[in-house]
Amino acid sequence: MADSPFAPEELARRRASARRLAWLLGAAVLALYLIGLFIKR
Amino acid sequence: MKTFVRQFLRQSLWTLLALPALARADYSWNFPEPVTPIARDTLKIHNEFMLIITALFVVVFAIMIYSMVKHRKSTGHQPAKFTGPKGGLQWFWALLPFAILLFIDFVLMGIPAVHAIIEMEDTKTKADMVLKVTGMQWKWQYEYPESGVKFVSTMSTPREQISNAAAKGENYLLEVDNPVVLPVGKKVRVLLTSTDVIHTWWVPQFGVKRDAIPGFLRETWVQIEKPGTYRGQCAELCGKDHGFMPVVVHAVPEPEYLAWLDKKKAEAAAAAGSGDRTWSKDELMAKGKEVYDKQCVSCHQANGQGIPNAFPALAGSPLCNSEWQTKDGKLIKDSHVDRVLHGKANTAMQAFKNTLSDVELAAVITFERNNFGNTMGDMVQPAQIKALR
Amino acid sequence: MSVATTHPGEHHEHHPSGILRWLTTTNHKDIGTMYLTFALIMFFVGGIMILAVRAELFQPGLQLMQPEFFNQLIGVHALVMIFAALMPAATGFANWMLPLMIGAPDMALPRLNNWGFWLLPPAAILLTLPFTLALFGIGDGAIATGWTFYAPLSVQGGIGVDFAIFAVHILGVSSIMGSINIIVTIFNLRAPGMTMMKLPLFAWGWLITAFLLIATIPVLAGAVTMLLTDRHFGTHFFNAAGGGDPILFQHLFWFFGHPEVYILLLPVWGLMPHVLSTFSRKPTYGYTAQVYSFIAIGVLSVIVWAHHFFTVGMPVPALIYFMFSTMSISLPLAVLFFCWIATMWRGAMSFETPMLFALGFIVLFGMAGLTGLVLADVAADAQYHHSYFVVAHFHYALFAGGIMGVMTGVYYWLPKWTGHMYSETLGKWHFWLTVVSFNLTFMPQFFLGLAGMPRRIPDYALQFAEFNAISTVGAFILGFSQLLFAYNIWRCVKGGEKAKDQVWESAEGLEWQLPSPPPYHSWETQPEIK
Repeated sequence: MADSPFAPEELARRRASARRLAWLLGAAVLALYLIGLFIKR
Repeated sequence: MKTFVRQFLRQSLWTLLALPALARADYSWNFPEPVTPIARDTLKIHNEFMLIITALFVVVFAIMIYSMVKHRKSTGHQPAKFTGPKGGLQWFWALLPFAILLFIDFVLMGIPAVHAIIEMEDTKTKADMVLKVTGMQWKWQYEYPESGVKFVSTMSTPREQISNAAAKGENYLLEVDNPVVLPVGKKVRVLLTSTDVIHTWWVPQFGVKRDAIPGFLRETWVQIEKPGTYRGQCAELCGKDHGFMPVVVHAVPEPEYLAWLDKKKAEAAAAAGSGDRTWSKDELMAKGKEVYDKQCVSCHQANGQGIPNAFPALAGSPLCNSEWQTKDGKLIKDSHVDRVLHGKANTAMQAFKNTLSDVELAAVITFERNNFGNTMGDMVQPAQIKALR
Repeated sequence: MSVATTHPGEHHEHHPSGILRWLTTTNHKDIGTMYLTFALIMFFVGGIMILAVRAELFQPGLQLMQPEFFNQLIGVHALVMIFAALMPAATGFANWMLPLMIGAPDMALPRLNNWGFWLLPPAAILLTLPFTLALFGIGDGAIATGWTFYAPLSVQGGIGVDFAIFAVHILGVSSIMGSINIIVTIFNLRAPGMTMMKLPLFAWGWLITAFLLIATIPVLAGAVTMLLTDRHFGTHFFNAAGGGDPILFQHLFWFFGHPEVYILLLPVWGLMPHVLSTFSRKPTYGYTAQVYSFIAIGVLSVIVWAHHFFTVGMPVPALIYFMFSTMSISLPLAVLFFCWIATMWRGAMSFETPMLFALGFIVLFGMAGLTGLVLADVAADAQYHHSYFVVAHFHYALFAGGIMGVMTGVYYWLPKWTGHMYSETLGKWHFWLTVVSFNLTFMPQFFLGLAGMPRRIPDYALQFAEFNAISTVGAFILGFSQLLFAYNIWRCVKGGEKAKDQVWESAEGLEWQLPSPPPYHSWETQPEIK
């Protein structure tokens, strides 16, 4: 992989971990949003 | 390069010179003359704080400007390499500004601020009277609960002045038909609410500003120390005519206030009486035009055409050209009278039942049904409105 | 996975050309360029709106427009400037520079990146479309509630409010995707050896920004969704008659709105040390202190929101709490000011355009900070609030702090992006015209506020006439000066003196090790972290 500072398997590992974190953050956002809709006063 | 630095210095100097003017100069550069204890307190706090932040500004940027003059590449200054404080003395000088700031925040500014808050929010102690203020699009209603006096205060600046067709008067946009009158030296508890959207009642010389929130009661207080006329405005964007709902307060000595109150009570009694008799159509039309020009014209316009897609036209409107009561005298839902009395939810069309008298309602409805090309020909009598309340 | 990042080296230049290249690109530099171009266009769109407003306010009386159109312009101006100019500009910086600065091959999620950008133009169209629709007799124009959507005024509003609600949803989704991408890129794609405490401060600033966006945008989205259901589906979240509370909306809005200020400013604060250190030829002072200040500001920013509506009437303990928590933000902010000035101290300064903008930023943003300190005081705030004093204050924060900060970054990095030097003469003209006219515009507004002029009024009493006239003159000079900025950028993109790899004499950081402009795919070899 010439166009990367990382070895191919290292890059794949990092990308996978990035995707996992991204889904986690996305889930957190969705949860925050949904919780907000149940605000009652 | 040198000239740019010099220009920069000059600019900074100008800024530095301009800032203290905030604190020192006469009132046209500062708050208007305070006439309540709160306003005096606020002005004092404001002046002190302005001096503090001006001092901070001058000290911090004097250091920066000194550095910009001294530590320049063009003068051959060799850059140092340090990246943080080293040794006790440097740490002392690095931390000192924060200790000072902490002191300024929480002691120098914090303590007077807390005192001011407590004074400002203490609406109840030794309150002499209550004034209820109701914001509505785009006027204020004032009510003196103890004496039952209640009236609406609308801007009296003619539309021709706003559209530049006439010369502007001295109190342009800050004048009303019915100013609120308050006695000097009395602590007035001001209760605020609104019928439609959020408004904010503000008279700069009183130093108070409080939101009027639909469905909730908020409060503040004023104790005016000096007789005079004080002018302010609605301060929260409340729709189309937000800029045109002034607050005007006449502060007068107590005897004068009581006399005014008696006069208002008599007027209200007379108005109530006039609702009992039968009005002629000409009378209703004349009174109706008067009411329309104050209450309705800003949305429905002088020609009754409204504003397309925003405010409906009255000219040719199905509402104004159909029956408003059934054969046996019941109010038809969503008819002309129903709409004027009860308003339309979530629009600027408010329930006028609470703001206008029977005569005014009857007159304005009659006017709308027989004007702008509407030819219903019928009349609504004040007694009919009274029966619907 | 994508054209830009996973195809082997020999396939480098096989991306589509023309419009398709921009629609399908997953390259962080292309996307960064699109973000920045979009931001510049919207900066002018928002600017034209406010010039119309200032023209109306030049004299008392209504000359050019009716109040309802005036109300639409002020609100859409703010929404455009915040969501479509400042935020995309900062995201553009992040896209262009983060991979270069941390030694990453690209952003971690390139396709998400593309999607994030292409959500912006539809959102901008949604926001401004009601203006056009009104011309054809559909609806009554754009949102006329100011950018704050305050219920119940927004419940009462026309279709412009619905358009704005959907625009905010889309912009929010775009921001959240951008933020997630930035967070995972910083966490996962740093070059070996770059520990978190070696991360460039720009990346740190953006990291905190991204977390703030993730924490607060859902709240805004929730609030405007509730508004939408109140408008159309009979709910009563904000209607007292149905058991709701209009003030709840303000709490929700400003829970987003206050952090939003730091969302706009943190990327700029992150950028400042780079510029100051470069042109002072001296390393950044207090790196660690700045990192912790960013974090502290991020945390504090979500617990101070109610100072945006002290006048609604709150219990005394709440007032005191929100006052002191707001004042405490001055401490981490003072750390930043201290570090900026200490970075310059005993350096060897030169005053190229980015440095001028950075210095202008520090002085004028300092005024925003100091006036913010007095605004935090509840008693004095009763006078300042809803007045032009506040308008002046937040333009010192968001124009001098935000936009001039972005201009600093543009001049600083433009040679790196284009490979050409911009015109220094034009840059300096642009700086001095901007600074002078900015002060001419907004300094009088402080005095207007003190004298009692409320904000968001289309017409005003006669005692406010002089300062308003000065302010309008300033605004027009300010507006037209920005044409110089656009022209300078355009000239620089077209050609000019070749920029060196390092561009600036003593610029430090990985990005300066790459050629100017950097190749389509950066970091063919692993960068070395010192």
